[in-house]
Amino acid sequence: MRADVVVVGAGPAGLATATRLAEAGRQVLLLARGNGFTHWGAGSVDVLGRVGGEPVERPLEALDRLPEGHPYHLIGQAAVRDGLDWFSRFTAAAGLAHRGDLERNRGQVTAFGTLRPTCLVQEPAAGELSGRVAVVNFAGFRDFSSALCAQRLRRAGIDATPASAPLPAWDHDRYFTGVELARAIDDAGFRRRLAPGLARAAAGADVAVVPAVLGVGRGHEPWADLQSLVGTPLVEAAIAPPSIPGLRLFAAYRARLEQLGVRWQFGFPAVGVERDGDRVTAVRSEGASRVLATRCQELVLATGGVAGNGIEANRDGTLTERVAGLPVDGFGDRLGFLGTRFLGDQPLAAAGVRVDGELRPMDASGAPLLANVRCVGGLLAGHDPTVEGSREGVALATAARVAALLTATPAR
Amino acid sequence: MTTTLETDVVVVGGGVTGVAVLRDLALRGVHAILVERFDLGTGTSGRWHGLLHSGARYAVRDQESARECIEENTTLRRIAPHTIEDIGGLFVLLPPDDEAYAAQFVEGCRASGIPTEELSTAAAHRREPLLAPDVRLAFAVPDGGIDSWALLRSMAADVEARGCQVLVRHPIVGVERTGDRITAVRVHDAVAGQDRTIGCQWVVNAAGAWAGDVGRMAGVPLTMIAGKGVMVVMASRYVRGVVNACRKPADGDIIVPQHEVAILGTTSEQVSSADDISVPPADVDRMIDMCAQMVPAIASGRVLRAFAGSRPLYKPEAPAGGGAGGDTREVSRTFTVLDHASRDGLDNMFSIVGGKLTTCRQMAEAVVDRLAERMGVTEPCRTATEVLPGADHGHHQVAAPLARVERDQAYGELICECELVTRGQVREAVASGLTELEDLRRKVRLGYGPCQAAFCAWRAAGMLAEGSEEGDPVAGLERFLEERWRGQQSTIWGDQARQALLNHAIYRGIFDLRGDGVPDEAAAVSPEEGA
Repeated sequence: MRADVVVVGAGPAGLATATRLAEAGRQVLLLARGNGFTHWGAGSVDVLGRVGGEPVERPLEALDRLPEGHPYHLIGQAAVRDGLDWFSRFTAAAGLAHRGDLERNRGQVTAFGTLRPTCLVQEPAAGELSGRVAVVNFAGFRDFSSALCAQRLRRAGIDATPASAPLPAWDHDRYFTGVELARAIDDAGFRRRLAPGLARAAAGADVAVVPAVLGVGRGHEPWADLQSLVGTPLVEAAIAPPSIPGLRLFAAYRARLEQLGVRWQFGFPAVGVERDGDRVTAVRSEGASRVLATRCQELVLATGGVAGNGIEANRDGTLTERVAGLPVDGFGDRLGFLGTRFLGDQPLAAAGVRVDGELRPMDASGAPLLANVRCVGGLLAGHDPTVEGSREGVALATAARVAALLTATPAR
Repeated sequence: MTTTLETDVVVVGGGVTGVAVLRDLALRGVHAILVERFDLGTGTSGRWHGLLHSGARYAVRDQESARECIEENTTLRRIAPHTIEDIGGLFVLLPPDDEAYAAQFVEGCRASGIPTEELSTAAAHRREPLLAPDVRLAFAVPDGGIDSWALLRSMAADVEARGCQVLVRHPIVGVERTGDRITAVRVHDAVAGQDRTIGCQWVVNAAGAWAGDVGRMAGVPLTMIAGKGVMVVMASRYVRGVVNACRKPADGDIIVPQHEVAILGTTSEQVSSADDISVPPADVDRMIDMCAQMVPAIASGRVLRAFAGSRPLYKPEAPAGGGAGGDTREVSRTFTVLDHASRDGLDNMFSIVGGKLTTCRQMAEAVVDRLAERMGVTEPCRTATEVLPGADHGHHQVAAPLARVERDQAYGELICECELVTRGQVREAVASGLTELEDLRRKVRLGYGPCQAAFCAWRAAGMLAEGSEEGDPVAGLERFLEERWRGQQSTIWGDQARQALLNHAIYRGIFDLRGDGVPDEAAAVSPEEGA
């Protein structure tokens, strides 16, 4: 097999990179072990939520306060802007319009009633929580507690009251997940039966917060339709994984990649590379019965950090990059991996591959190690996507940078 | 403000020994009150591997302990079957082990009255398919698994039905003495924030590894040796029954399947304080490597957490200096009743020291026999024959929680998929007055599974918020998460590292929790563990 570019990883960075390269006419193969942080995140685009633990108001201005070696410093503000601009255009065209901009962060309401600082959210999560707020759960949905959410919102000075909306009869009476509920809400008939109960639960409120389950397969249409049926603005609160807004985004990427003719191998992870001097000539990946080699001009690793499975944390404190065996700074022993507090900072989350300004992996002296390998997203050293709130921002900005680098010359 | 209580006997210590003493007294019609500084089973009784000993482990070197074990193993199966998994055990001889030891082992078991059966290696592999292929000899013994919290709950319920009292979160703060007699025990009610005085005729010190502290308050010298044991919790059971190495007891020679996990044990190291429950990563590595010799799949398995417990070892003459660092396996695992009247001139206090969970009932019988004689109580001990509440359904089956969920068709009610905990169970626990997730954990086994509370803890916090407007379930959740975190740090690599970072991404990333409500000290000090 053969491709211009092999992209490994189907999280926020790999999906954006593959899409952008294909849009520029490159023949792309996307290899992925499984789903990534589209499914595991809050369904938002975090660019820079916190620095030194303090919430960031203006993310672009705060980039300067990040430590040396941070991916944003390597690629610059222009790539961040380019990444978000492209993403906004792409999602709007896919029926997943986002709200927000790079100038100012906003608060995304969560199931805990916290307002997490982020940059862009999908339209259903964008409404303002002003006036009387009803926090409504759907009866029997176990992954959201309106009492818990409302309690914290009240502490933040928001006039929030918990409420419950009954579900119409359906075939998941005994057991259902958020995804099943979201699929049901994709159906217009189900929405019509759901709306009266939801309207009663939200009666008298200026806005209703609901768990982020308002449809998964039809963009934002189910949300908009339900909102007009209920007659009250609906705001989706981020819930635990899988993120249904993230599933919407993943579906949009998948449709776009298929439209662009990108080959896609899902569930067949890359397991190694073939090299000739300082160039990778082929990527080896698991196939149904044997290991396959795909020859390529360029390789983009978007495999994630330790959380994303791009890096293995070993018992002896060392770290291993899983596809190309790139060097990753390890720890003296494994006690160094993690902080003493769970909700504090975790050094392991910031572990990654060090790269140069063109996102090529470097050796200890700072020289590029492989001329045609680029690293994007969570795999990069020098940032903690969770603690900083920078996951999607770094993904989109590094994808933008790689797209610019690899499409500087016309496609062959 | 101080309130006053009166009783005949104060029992100090809410581990299995103390509660067994209280039950023994209750069954003889003696009024008694037990005081415990934290919750029941938060000392050594909650920090162990869960092995119901057959005694085979001691058959070569400590036959007195071995005989006690097999006797009590039989008794506990009769009175508390519901707390026991009847899974049996194997002793396996590996290539480097000494065959002569196997001969001593068989003879020791015979002499101690422990039934053994030699299995062919094929039969051993049929019974334990994951056993190492190079096992040379295998002996079946009547080991079992026992859930100490279930045993404690069952005994406590029995005792309270008989009019005795259990006061948890009541640390002892002083002892009032008049001449050679204790007249009262002073405790601090940590929930109400007030001191209480309990006037009493007798005191039984059953504080286990902390018995020396109680002795000090009463003014009698009592030196305990703190024997730390490190245990490792694997994410699945691996074995059907207990698997032991057939060799002189050493580190990493036992695998105990318990509920949905397996516990690897254990080290044996003398430390200077019973509160030293640190877990060095090297101990974890050694345990995994040693146990993987018996069950190779463990080498690449997923480790959930590790914890340490302090054995309550007692040696009549403490070793010179009483220092730390030695191997404590040389100290007998049998127990000793100390009558402080003859020993120290303190008229009305006994201590029960040493021993092990399997023999807790026998220990209680021994100390209460002596006490009853002094008190003039003639009722005989009935704890070996009176079965405990809940015993009527036979042994605990590992699949029982699944059967319960299937019977009730309660899939949609599950709030913890790892341990099959339902909303109904949590609701019931909350209705009984539990408000801390930590207490819920021990009661319903919340947060024990492979995901280490990634999903169940916030669901339970939501239920607490629904139950009451008071309190701050988010702060309680943060305390719970920090508490769970403590047992994980030495065991995080591979898959479990990924799990830890995903959990971090959920709680800190999505929910934006920052632990503001948890002071650093709370994250640093805790008495509680369990597997």
